[in-house]
Amino acid sequence: MQEIFANLGLGFQTAVTWTNMMWVVIGGTLGTIIGMLPGLGPATGVAILIPITFGMNPATALITMCAVYYGAMFGGSRASIMINTPGDASAIVSCFDGYPMTKQGRAGTALAISAIASFIGGMIGMFFLVFLTQPIANAALKFGPAEMFSLMMFALVATITLSEGNLLKGAVAIAFGLMLSTVGIDALTGIIRFTYGAEALQDGIDFLVIIIGVYAVCEVFKNYKDIGAVHKFDSKHIGRVWVSKEEWKRSLPPMLRAGPLGFIVGVLPGMGGTIATFMSYAMEKNLSKKPEEFGKGAIEGLAAPESANNACSCGAMVPLLTLGIPGSGTTAVMLGALMLLGVRPGPTLFTDHPEIAWGVIASMLIGNIVLVIINLPLAIPLVQILKVPTRIMLPVIMGLALIGTYFLNYSSFDFVVVMISAVIGYLFSKLEIPLPPLVLALILGGTTEQALRNSLVLSDGSLGIFVQKPISAVFIVLAAASLVYSLAKRKKQAA
Amino acid sequence: MTKDTLTGIIAVLVGGTYTATALMLPEMRMGDKLGPKIFPLVVGIGSVIAGLALILGDRRPGKQSKKTDFGFVEHKDIWLKILLTTVVGIVYGLVMDKLGFLIPTTLFMLFITTLINKGRILQNAILSLAFSVITYGVFAVALQLSLPRGFLESMLPF
Repeated sequence: MQEIFANLGLGFQTAVTWTNMMWVVIGGTLGTIIGMLPGLGPATGVAILIPITFGMNPATALITMCAVYYGAMFGGSRASIMINTPGDASAIVSCFDGYPMTKQGRAGTALAISAIASFIGGMIGMFFLVFLTQPIANAALKFGPAEMFSLMMFALVATITLSEGNLLKGAVAIAFGLMLSTVGIDALTGIIRFTYGAEALQDGIDFLVIIIGVYAVCEVFKNYKDIGAVHKFDSKHIGRVWVSKEEWKRSLPPMLRAGPLGFIVGVLPGMGGTIATFMSYAMEKNLSKKPEEFGKGAIEGLAAPESANNACSCGAMVPLLTLGIPGSGTTAVMLGALMLLGVRPGPTLFTDHPEIAWGVIASMLIGNIVLVIINLPLAIPLVQILKVPTRIMLPVIMGLALIGTYFLNYSSFDFVVVMISAVIGYLFSKLEIPLPPLVLALILGGTTEQALRNSLVLSDGSLGIFVQKPISAVFIVLAAASLVYSLAKRKKQAA
Repeated sequence: MTKDTLTGIIAVLVGGTYTATALMLPEMRMGDKLGPKIFPLVVGIGSVIAGLALILGDRRPGKQSKKTDFGFVEHKDIWLKILLTTVVGIVYGLVMDKLGFLIPTTLFMLFITTLINKGRILQNAILSLAFSVITYGVFAVALQLSLPRGFLESMLPF
């Protein structure tokens, strides 16, 4: 316990500098703005803002990206509440009761409770994050290649089994991601693989380029159908951005219940904010004495998912920081950006660079407070951004995405990759092939293959090593269990 | 054709090509039990198996997935925009090193804004110019990041 507080103190020493605090505010505000724009989620926000982190030291870069991520979580529901259009998938649930509240002339209350619930959920998530990261990182330090391979297999399997959608399509997405990860020079033998004669591919495919393609450029493509969208609302009818004592009483228990739920969901790979918000909404509706009010402006129906969503974003940081495994699209983008800065998140981050690991955690605590301050008094001015027409926002996002691509490697070839991956991402979305498993497999592919090969060197070629080592066996069992659970759930749904 | 069947065909074709390429890789084990080809082989074969399972699963009566509709005809204007954006985006990247940052970025933005924000010539011109100047200011001047320098940038004092 003392070690945790000492580390947190170190984290605050890193985080509380004028530069870092400035970036927490800038990142949080930019994240809030991007998060609230319809169709653009935190992954897009972090992807297009990567270039601003270049030239920063790794701690400041990670602090800025976390602020963007967190800001997007705060902002995501603004569009749901004001114009019944979710900023991203995890804000869909906020439409259910948020928009009816606006129609009833309670937009101010809805905006306030969404910010307060985001804050409380974030604080609950941070509590667990602070106390869980160090023990997990300590345990992960003992992982050998067999444990790492099994862990990554579990992460990949869980990404498709715990999310909604077709399992086989998820498997195809993982296979495609792994295929892309093998392009270029093999790290162990130096053999050039799958470049088909293209010299530009010898260094492999930069997964950040693919990520910008599928999360930023592709999102612009998807929004082409809504180019004419102009969102209008009367700011005079928003009302006071605050909650009454009665509303506070009704909202607090749902927020406190949804926080831990959201955190647990966030830790699991593949689940993410969308599932956390839907689960918390369903839980509150089941627990409510007046379930019939849900969908008609019940404040609990907004408070719970908002709390779950922010706690979930804290949960998603656990596997990223402690194991170096991103559990969501946004954390995948953050991992990529950090690797570009020469930092590899994982257990060694806590031993080699505790100031970065704990600085980020401390900055998230500060960011949570900064963002609730931004999102309460500035709620009305901030939502005015929703009035900026889509046809103006899309070119700006496209421009930022391509400039970001250039900064990654200063390579013209990356523009070919980013545009083609955006088109393929768009086609895949039409075929309902999930992109997060593909991106995760692309990121983890190289390490997974290396871990597998190193394990087999240690075991003299025997696959038994993966079940003989207890931790590895646990991950294999968890992967199998999630597959069985998923198959059973889908069979039940089909029946 | 249904979505699952088409996905299955793509998975079989891509996985098959990848597997065939993997088979041509040298063994080169030298203490490394798997070598550089076994992992790709497993992945390629996995893709083929998942693809075949999708195709076969889609043939079960009453279990067919939805019909594929890319909207090439119905939304041909969107596809045209995507195609043009893709081509212009690639060209933008190719000319940037030669022409510098400001001119290609302004032209790219002018093209995209004209494509998306039709008929508002002045607004598009202002937005394009403002975007390239502001991003240059932020990245090249404020953040001191290296941006391609053409003849316009070489005349600037920063």
